[in-house]
Amino acid sequence: MLRRRLAELVSRASDGDLDVEEIMAASGSLTALGVTSLTYLRLIDAVEEEFGVELDGPAVLDTLDGMAACIADRQAAPR
Amino acid sequence: MTGRPFAWQRSATVEFTGERGGEAPLTWGQRSIWRITRWLEDGDPYFNTPWVLPVPGRPDLDTVLRALGTLVERHESLRTTCRETPDGPVQRIAAGGRLTVEIFDAVDAAPRQAAAELADELAAKGFDYAAEPPLRCAVVTADGRPRALAMALSHLAVDAWALDLLAAEWRRLLAGEELPPPAWQPMDQAAFERSGKGAERGERALRHWRAALERAPAALFDHPPGTPEDPRFVRVGMESAAVAAAARVLAERWTVSTTSVLLTASAVLLTALTGRGTAVMQFIVGNRHDPRLRDMVGTAVQDGLFVLDLPDGTFADAARAGHRQALVTYRHAHYEPYAMMALREETGPADLSAYFNDVRTVPAWPNLPAQAVRDPAALTGRTKTFFVGAWAEVDAKVFFATGPATHTCQLYLLTDTAYLPRSTAYALLRGVETLLVRCLAEDVPLGRVAEICGLAGTLPEEMR
Repeated sequence: MLRRRLAELVSRASDGDLDVEEIMAASGSLTALGVTSLTYLRLIDAVEEEFGVELDGPAVLDTLDGMAACIADRQAAPR
Repeated sequence: MTGRPFAWQRSATVEFTGERGGEAPLTWGQRSIWRITRWLEDGDPYFNTPWVLPVPGRPDLDTVLRALGTLVERHESLRTTCRETPDGPVQRIAAGGRLTVEIFDAVDAAPRQAAAELADELAAKGFDYAAEPPLRCAVVTADGRPRALAMALSHLAVDAWALDLLAAEWRRLLAGEELPPPAWQPMDQAAFERSGKGAERGERALRHWRAALERAPAALFDHPPGTPEDPRFVRVGMESAAVAAAARVLAERWTVSTTSVLLTASAVLLTALTGRGTAVMQFIVGNRHDPRLRDMVGTAVQDGLFVLDLPDGTFADAARAGHRQALVTYRHAHYEPYAMMALREETGPADLSAYFNDVRTVPAWPNLPAQAVRDPAALTGRTKTFFVGAWAEVDAKVFFATGPATHTCQLYLLTDTAYLPRSTAYALLRGVETLLVRCLAEDVPLGRVAEICGLAGTLPEEMR
């Protein structure tokens, strides 16, 4: 679902340096997992593109669960 | 041609035929360079890059010239001229043409050294952007074999990232590899920037700048200017393996990048002098995170705006906040530069004359000796500081920049000596080292940075 799809986007943004299962299993922050600035920037672009939401900044995006919650929240809000 | 240890032999011609030609508006990256070239006299070489590519594997001259022609055929940027029109500046891509390449014999000089001197000569004269291809080339041979390619390139055609792309392709082409055609060229980028989605991204970047500009102070320094040096702008440098080692350890400890560590250190030391709780710096951004731009030979680099509100707490807290703010900066550095100028007019005076530029394309100094990382503090005795040069006019009061070395941290600082004398510039560079090395052993509260780094009282009497 959403969480897995996000993990796939993270993996793709990292050029495959991080694999999906590894990302799914991580409980801490994505930064701690080794997500670099470049990966983050690509990830934000990819998430915005795919889910049609605008994300304000990296602070809300540091965990998979935080990102999923943020997307669900933005999608529920009237545009 | 006398007085040089190498000798001109002849001119060769490289013919090229690309897949397409055409005309398009300049990309935002090109416009940001174009805008500044308009301030310079025609023929000013300031935006020229001298560059040398080694020739590995002992190929013959024809192979080398063909590889050069292939680069020009592949990358439209290398066969593009730029001119002003009533509808704004445009790029014109030549579908075909010829390039003249001078061939030299190294004689008694080392080929790489001869090529470096030739590249400087080629870069000494500004490009005629409207009429001349954006690169000039010479081949240096030894014993009849090409050993190095000397070049001068216009910054309208390439940035540091593009040079890395070209260097990688050069090796592969000389090795006889077939390369897939580039998928994205500046002309494609220009079309994207004018599309709905591209324009929207630019608007978003400008909204970020507007919010930041509205709270940026009108003057960087509150203190009165003193008597400047002549020439007024001075650049000094430092080479410190201790800074490299400490930055690497701290970046890992705080899960931030080494860029963020150096950027935050520069910002924090600057606030130690300005006495302000917020640092506002322009931060040069490569703009290559978009996968399409990643492989584009062209120029994409633009100024980003970095705003850091210092937290209550330690330098570690500042570095984490700095890392987040750096991401915000990266994300909003791709915009139409002329719209930015209009925005700055509208928002009124904001002093953005403090800069930071991390020129490294390889992160974290991979060739740093292993023992350095075990005990960075032990290396401070080997740190060198030195004078680089002086200029009469520069559009910055403070400009921090790294150098490209991968075995030590090169850190440079240019200052306007009316506000920061040369002695303070040296103190700031040393301060970066002292701060980072100290952070390895203990938490450094931000309130103590000026004292620990010996910045208290570094300004002369007349500037206090």
